[in-house]
Amino acid sequence: MLPAVAVLLFVGIVPLVTVFNYSFFDIFSLQQLNWVGVQWYRDILSTERFYDALARSVVFSAIVLCVQIPLGVGIALILPRGGWRQSVALMLLAAPLVVPSNMIPIMWLNLISPAGLAGRTFAWLGIAFDYKFNAIHTWLVLVIMDTWHWLGLVVVLAYSGLSGIQPAFYQAAAIDGASRFQIFRHIELPKIGGVLSMALLLRFVDSFMIYTEAFRINAGGPNGATTFLSLDLGEDIQGFNYGMAAARSMIYFLMILIVAWSFKTTMDGRKKLQTVNRA
Amino acid sequence: MGSQDMSRRNTARSLLILLAFLALAAFILLPFAQTLIVSFTSTLPRDGIPEGRFSLVNYLNVIRSPALTSSILNSFLYVMMNVALCLTVALPAAYAFARYAFVGDRHFFFMLLTFRITPPVVLSLPIFVLFAQFNLVNSPIGIALVHCLFNIPIAIWILESFIAAVPTEFDEMAYLDGHSWLSFFFRHLIPAIAPGIGVSAFFCFIFSWVEVVFARILTVTAGKPITMAINALFSFRTDIGLVMAMTVISLLPGLGMIYFVRNYISRGFIIKA
Repeated sequence: MLPAVAVLLFVGIVPLVTVFNYSFFDIFSLQQLNWVGVQWYRDILSTERFYDALARSVVFSAIVLCVQIPLGVGIALILPRGGWRQSVALMLLAAPLVVPSNMIPIMWLNLISPAGLAGRTFAWLGIAFDYKFNAIHTWLVLVIMDTWHWLGLVVVLAYSGLSGIQPAFYQAAAIDGASRFQIFRHIELPKIGGVLSMALLLRFVDSFMIYTEAFRINAGGPNGATTFLSLDLGEDIQGFNYGMAAARSMIYFLMILIVAWSFKTTMDGRKKLQTVNRA
Repeated sequence: MGSQDMSRRNTARSLLILLAFLALAAFILLPFAQTLIVSFTSTLPRDGIPEGRFSLVNYLNVIRSPALTSSILNSFLYVMMNVALCLTVALPAAYAFARYAFVGDRHFFFMLLTFRITPPVVLSLPIFVLFAQFNLVNSPIGIALVHCLFNIPIAIWILESFIAAVPTEFDEMAYLDGHSWLSFFFRHLIPAIAPGIGVSAFFCFIFSWVEVVFARILTVTAGKPITMAINALFSFRTDIGLVMAMTVISLLPGLGMIYFVRNYISRGFIIKA
């Protein structure tokens, strides 16, 4: 246990405390720190820009979760059990996970460019697809691209939960004459609840803080329509505005922490309720 | 008649599932196909090779460029170090989680999760400052260390579920046979959870291989990983064929890893209820 804690202390806690410290300074260079107190926090939280970006990030995460979680669970449900077909399907689904995140937009931009396979199909179908200037199209590209990248993770997690259900449960359900939906609602869903909540949380934080992909596709455009929270942070860092970047980092970290914490408490609460009901 | 009806409905159902899977496969494979096609196409005007034709020139150019070949080596180096480091520290921790109930273990698990969900962008600046003091910038050790931030929690989580699946009698038997804790660990436990180690290694490998935020900020002048080498290829006149050839090469190790763990990939995530 100790070695793990030591490493995480070095790469996790120490930097986190450092960011917290930086966020109260105006930083010209690391030798020249000027105490500014909570000035940065006040600046960030008083601009409309922050709330706009927050709204966009929340909407993006909501869409991503609404698409990927049901789709992933659905695929896991109809995935073949055992045999070579299961291996092939899982390998296929896991393949996009191994693509480095800065290569994903490169691949997709190539695909939808006028010379690419999808681009030529659009032209052939007579669809005027313009991800650069049409905000809806940019959003579509981002959501589809993110789904392509991460769907495999949701499927793998849901599938691992499903394969842990003993056949006896299904037999009992068959004897009771349960419908397919009843089986899903009362047996499968509760059993995969644990891994599914994990998938939900992981997909939430990663989509909420999406940076590389969104930046590469349209650099937050058109007209700021895809400027998510993380893109503003990237701008601060690139502009050497470190104090503000640190304050922003802290705000984002706290938001994520609060979501994760409330998520955990609801999960624990539900678990307790279940045990009480059973007793 | 009823059974005939039923079997017809079953065939229709499996046909529908097959169609769904074909559509899914097409969706997943399409970007890969595009990348592969472009990687085998000459995309810049060159002597002797007509533009837009099939050609191996991109792959030959990768081999000819020392910057590109060394970036492949750099990536391998820090990813392997990261996997080794993560497994070494995660194994004992996972064992402790699986076998002993201690005060605050649930909270500790949540804390681990916090590390996994901390966005890299948030920590990139202080990590750079901190690692510069320890001389870890431009070195594969630095990247290997910082990737532990999200890989150790994942590794502990997966290994814990595999160790928990081994009955406690297994441990007790080994102690009764006179094995010390260390020899039990290496001779008995590790072989018993080999698939779990494989799956954790797989996830550590790919998460470290695909990460770009830390990898960029920690390689200023040297030790560039493959992802940054590809970024550097973009210029006023980008040879997109070369970019795609490098992308294909960067995918191969991960796809190879998937092949090795294909039968265990979905077994590692059962959470103790």
